[in-house]
Amino acid sequence: METAIKTSTIKDKLIFEYENSKLFLFGDTQLRDKAMESFYEQGIPTRKHEEYKYIRMGLMLKGEFNISINENCSDAQIESLKFLKEAYVVIIENGIFIEGASNVQNLPKGLTICSLVDAEKSNSPIFEKHYAQYADVKADPFIALNTAMTKDGAFIHIAKNTIIEKPIHVIHISTASENTLIHPRNLIVVDENSQVKIVESFETVATTAKTVSNALTEIVVDKHAIVDHYKIQDEKELGCLVNTTQVIQQKQSVFSTHTFTLSGSLVRNNLTVVLDDEHIESHLNGLYLTAGNQAVDNHTVVDHRKPNCNSNELYKGIIEGKSTATFNGKIFVRKDAQKTNAFQSNKNILLSQDGTINTKPQLEIYADDVKCSHGSTTGKLDEEKIFYLRARGISVINAKKLLMHAFASEVVNTIKIEALREYVQEKI
Amino acid sequence: MNEVIEQKVNTEYKYGFVTDIDSDSAPKGLNEDIIRFISAKKNEPEWMLEYRLTAFRHWLTMEEPDWAHVTYKKPDFQDIIYYSAPKPKKVLKSLDEVDPELLKTFDKLGISVLEQERLSGVESRVALDVIVDSVSVKTTFKETLAEKGIIFCSFGEAIQEHPALVKKYMSSVVPSSDNFFAALNSAVFTDGSFCYIPKGVHCPMELSTYFRIEAAGTGQFERTLIIAEEGSKVSYLEGCTAPMRDENQLHAAVVELVAHKDAQIKYSTVQNWYPGDKEGKGGVFNFVTKRGMCLEENAKISWTQVETGSAITWKYPSVILKGDNSIGEFYSVAVTNNYQQADTGTKMIHIGKNTKSTIISKGVSAGFSNNSYRGLVRIAKGAENARNFSQCDSLLMGDQCGAHTFPYIEIKNNTAVVEHEATTSKIGEDQLFYCKQRGIDNEKAIGLIVNGYCKDVLSQLPMEFAVEAQKLLEVSLEGSVG
Repeated sequence: METAIKTSTIKDKLIFEYENSKLFLFGDTQLRDKAMESFYEQGIPTRKHEEYKYIRMGLMLKGEFNISINENCSDAQIESLKFLKEAYVVIIENGIFIEGASNVQNLPKGLTICSLVDAEKSNSPIFEKHYAQYADVKADPFIALNTAMTKDGAFIHIAKNTIIEKPIHVIHISTASENTLIHPRNLIVVDENSQVKIVESFETVATTAKTVSNALTEIVVDKHAIVDHYKIQDEKELGCLVNTTQVIQQKQSVFSTHTFTLSGSLVRNNLTVVLDDEHIESHLNGLYLTAGNQAVDNHTVVDHRKPNCNSNELYKGIIEGKSTATFNGKIFVRKDAQKTNAFQSNKNILLSQDGTINTKPQLEIYADDVKCSHGSTTGKLDEEKIFYLRARGISVINAKKLLMHAFASEVVNTIKIEALREYVQEKI
Repeated sequence: MNEVIEQKVNTEYKYGFVTDIDSDSAPKGLNEDIIRFISAKKNEPEWMLEYRLTAFRHWLTMEEPDWAHVTYKKPDFQDIIYYSAPKPKKVLKSLDEVDPELLKTFDKLGISVLEQERLSGVESRVALDVIVDSVSVKTTFKETLAEKGIIFCSFGEAIQEHPALVKKYMSSVVPSSDNFFAALNSAVFTDGSFCYIPKGVHCPMELSTYFRIEAAGTGQFERTLIIAEEGSKVSYLEGCTAPMRDENQLHAAVVELVAHKDAQIKYSTVQNWYPGDKEGKGGVFNFVTKRGMCLEENAKISWTQVETGSAITWKYPSVILKGDNSIGEFYSVAVTNNYQQADTGTKMIHIGKNTKSTIISKGVSAGFSNNSYRGLVRIAKGAENARNFSQCDSLLMGDQCGAHTFPYIEIKNNTAVVEHEATTSKIGEDQLFYCKQRGIDNEKAIGLIVNGYCKDVLSQLPMEFAVEAQKLLEVSLEGSVG
């Protein structure tokens, strides 16, 4: 009962804060009002909510929160986060696009990067066409909350027939000395025949209090486009992250996404990929490493709406300490989506006595001419393999490390940007 | 192929007929008086009535669950007759005393009690506890069983004659407050089977009960309780067919199994209740709570089910693996056709050390039906070296049906090894081609492939039952797959 009261107060507080600040927020107030209404109806999900069964969102939002934070970290700290040397860097600090720190000058032809606020101000038709069209406020309270309260974020547009060689690196930085709640939001539109690699990283620096980041990214992949998307989540002990990614794919496009959860006290990923036309390919990869009291919850939805599409999903986890990892992968195959191939695999290694793994691979299939499968395994490190290595003079610790690296490599090797692959490998 | 499917989909339900037996029914509706009426009718002791009333009061506070992947018009619980017994007869000594109408019904089903009796001299004997509309009419082979010390009787009889056992074990596995339908059952159950296998006894024959739903508008609320003492072994069979009805009939049974040290219980079900007509009208609602408890070490409980009937199936036979080294198994074939909906699966709760569980689930959906597997594998913190293997496959026939899997896997111990696999596909064109090339027609080929697909589960059924199961599956395959 007690927690119920607390979560309801945070809900009321958010609404109060919204009413206070809504005049200063960019864009369509009607859209925001509607989203807030939807949030009010849904509330902060409790564990009774089927989709939030294994994670305690109420706990994350316990206590006081500063909603209009305005802190900055030093340039040197920002510099240290730019781990991709060759990239167009976008800095989003506490939910605000910082143009000065970003490296978005001298962009090649066809590439537009600006803040959401600017995109809205300039009446960009692409922004108007796509903004808030895909993430449904009724589907999830955090989508609603983000839609209502977002202040800023990045708008990235790749025009028709453009190949962007260098990756685009969007760095989300949380930095705070008191508890904060922010709602950064990105819109990425990739037009016909274009190719791009986008890395989103989520970092917490110089923080002494709890930061909750409710980030949302919408990605539009138009016909024949090829998009490589990476998420590196490194929120340290104090950072909490709710990361919603909503993807819509058009005809014959290829979309790959790779989610790496390296740290963070609570990380919830809602990834939805909608295959809205024929001959689409989607790849969803993920790796989560949890330790301490961490909770990581990966929810993915692959929605096959049209025939002749392929999707492939691979999520792997290594669980240590008292941490909890959850994987919930849904595959929908709609009535017309014949000749669909959808595969899903989730593998976990539980290293400690006190860790918990919950997995729920789900298939909902309404078409008959399909090939779908999912598999899930959970176990510890293979004793025989450790023995094999030890028999060859490798210490227990090194043998375990070696095996874990081998386990993770299946996901890590899917990274196509070399610098990023090295960075992730090192982090593991 | 579509033509064949269509033609077969149109096959009428073969076992639909109504036998006229005068019912001695309670008025419609549910309240404390009805419960008192049922209790009085069955001559129950005071504690039993108390138990029912407690369950009923708890039921009033509960809500009908709606998380299952099924849609239906919720039954009006006040529009159900909660008690209907065929004409009360004194204790029956021989088959001649059984209502001839009843015997005819069984003849039509192809399960003649006479035949069973004739078989009694042969090696494979099947004791039959015939249930028509909630009341056990005929119990055969009771004497043979009694020699071994096995108690096999109707639940009502058990309450009268073995109150201590009933009191001790009833609701020990499925508490009366467990879920909405279990609570309802606890309040209004009319009869069922009771089975007690004493220490070290291997039950010499397969125990079997046939459930039928007779008398229009009757809900059927069975309760089965099987207790296997240390080192004992029993195999229990349950099979059902129901006559054609227009209105929905509710069936909310509770089955509890208790296995002590080294005991083994094998529980097999063939369910072929009326699934509704091809527009999805009518049919039986099957909301069953089945659970087994491996109470002490080395116990083993195995569920096998062939589900072909019912408009809606909502059933999760579960095993709680409490004793160390205990084993739980679940083998299931679920076939849905037309507008049938099935949400079925299992729960394996690993608590003891070195516990093992296996789940094999095969779903076949055709027509406009929806077939879901929903299962839970939970490894508790203390369950060292627990092992689970799950496989659930779905076969789709036609582009209007759905097949879904909702597995929940919760692991809190790092020595556990848990594997889950699921596949969904349609019948392989090359398999069909192979059969056809060898002169097997389309319909037979599909039957052959589906039978092969379900073989893992069918092979788990006891010999005596396998014939019947295959027959039922064939009928349903005729109606669903072709």
